[in-house]
Amino acid sequence: MSGPPPIAVRGLRKVFRQANSGQSVIAIDRLDLTIAPREVVSIVGQTGCGKSTFFDIMIGLDAPTEGSIRFGDKSPYADFDHFRGRIATVFQQDRLLPWRSALDNAKLPLELIGLPDAEQHERALAWLRRLGLGQFTSAFPHELSGGMRQRVAIARAFAMEPDILLADEAFGHLDEVTAVELRDTFLKLARERGSTAVLITHQLEEAIAVGDRVIVFGKPARVLADIRVAQWPAAQHGILREAIQATLQSNRPDPRLG
Amino acid sequence: MLPEEHHASLPVPIFPRQTLVSLLVFAAGWEALAHLAPLLGIPPFAVPGFITIAKRLVAVTPFDVIVTLARVVGALIVSFVLGVLLAIAMYRSDALEQYLRPMIRILMAVPVVSWILFAVLWFPGVEFRIGFVLVAVCGPVFLIDALDAMRGVPRELRQMMRSFRPTPRQFFLKLMLPAIVPSLFTSWKVNISLAIRVVTIAELVGAVTGIGHQLSVAQELFSVADVFAWTMVLVVLLFLLEALVARVESRMLRWRG
Ligand SMILES: Nc1ncnc2c1ncn2[C@@H]1O[C@H](COP(=O)(O)OP(=O)(O)O)[C@@H](O)[C@H]1O
Ligand SMILES: [Mg+2]
Repeated sequence: MSGPPPIAVRGLRKVFRQANSGQSVIAIDRLDLTIAPREVVSIVGQTGCGKSTFFDIMIGLDAPTEGSIRFGDKSPYADFDHFRGRIATVFQQDRLLPWRSALDNAKLPLELIGLPDAEQHERALAWLRRLGLGQFTSAFPHELSGGMRQRVAIARAFAMEPDILLADEAFGHLDEVTAVELRDTFLKLARERGSTAVLITHQLEEAIAVGDRVIVFGKPARVLADIRVAQWPAAQHGILREAIQATLQSNRPDPRLG
Repeated sequence: MLPEEHHASLPVPIFPRQTLVSLLVFAAGWEALAHLAPLLGIPPFAVPGFITIAKRLVAVTPFDVIVTLARVVGALIVSFVLGVLLAIAMYRSDALEQYLRPMIRILMAVPVVSWILFAVLWFPGVEFRIGFVLVAVCGPVFLIDALDAMRGVPRELRQMMRSFRPTPRQFFLKLMLPAIVPSLFTSWKVNISLAIRVVTIAELVGAVTGIGHQLSVAQELFSVADVFAWTMVLVVLLFLLEALVARVESRMLRWRG
């Protein structure tokens, strides 16, 4: 019961060598970043700036070319198994297993950590109900709408009761109303649960709506601005939005962001 | 694979009207030819009428049908298990795949008749020969299909699965194997019709039981009626097996909607 570990990224670089041309692509360039336990952070950046590359490195599926990423005193890549059951992910598409019902999809991570059957069932069911899917537990993904499928994916993430929640463009493909509603649900649940949450998005509005802290990525990925939204009075949010927009467009920190 | 296999795998239980009509027209034509044979100078044994065929059909020995069926089903199960296990090994080891894939392509190009001749020259036991030929023909189909299906599992699903940190065993049991089930059903359907056709040829050589053996006896007796009857049995057997697989498939693949 030590709670989520702090996240520390130091001098992170990721260089891809393209298979055909043999040319190097710098996806992440000397990224430094610290995220405190239980913080809810959004990361915003242009398409192709290296957000998903950073996401893969955070979830431990890819290693940095240089630099380090630590969750507490552990590496999500080198200490891969240590984080079993502790990091939950939500992706751009729902990524449900099409042959499993909603309930069995929500159960998947619980099966992987070897929870007793009865508890798997109970937890997955409880989370599906909280996400308003109590009537659809036995439905297959193809029988659900896009929004409902993403709800199942969110239930699947929360059912793990993770320390760290990572979402990559999780709401970007949904219609506006559904996206806002789901995002709010997601944030409420993350705060209730006390998980550290990192939401990656290319949409400025979404990044600001998330609240606590907005990190603006340049292209290639590095921190151009790190904004605590609470320090900006509501009346100045228009200026904040413009300043972030200008930062994204010029790929340089806007002076108004200090 | 071959276009004819797609036709054969259509569901059979309810005959559409067109099917019935075409069957009846064929039967009527055959029957007419049987009666007209003497006038046309065709020897009567060449085109037996349906009464004669029906008599031979009644004389079909269930034992031979069961023996052939057992050989087909047994060999398919062995091919399936070997093929899928080897596919998993090749999926996990690139080196193994690089060495084995060309060999398997070569094996798949070997004609059935060559397999039968090899089997006869190499192995003394009749059952083993037949099993060998069937596994040599059907095993690579299961293997290649399973391997390609595993390679085709979407990157997105693998990434999702890996992000939840499964053990290698869990990764296979909960993602890879269920993901290739639809393609395994397709391989079963292809292989059933392949096996039914190959088994009879394999049984022609040396076997003293089975439908293939009965066909060779019929040939020696110049009995077209017997050949017709046994062929009908084979075709019906094939349709029944396919219907069985289609049934299991529709039950197991309900999730596809
Ligand atoms: N596996 C890879 N191999 C080569 N280049 C890659 C690979 N993954 C990403 N890239 C490149 O890295 C850059 C960042 O991609 P990505 O992280 O997907 O951006 P984002 O998620 O911000 O849209 C792009 O230029 C992309 O082409
Ligand atoms: Mg992306």
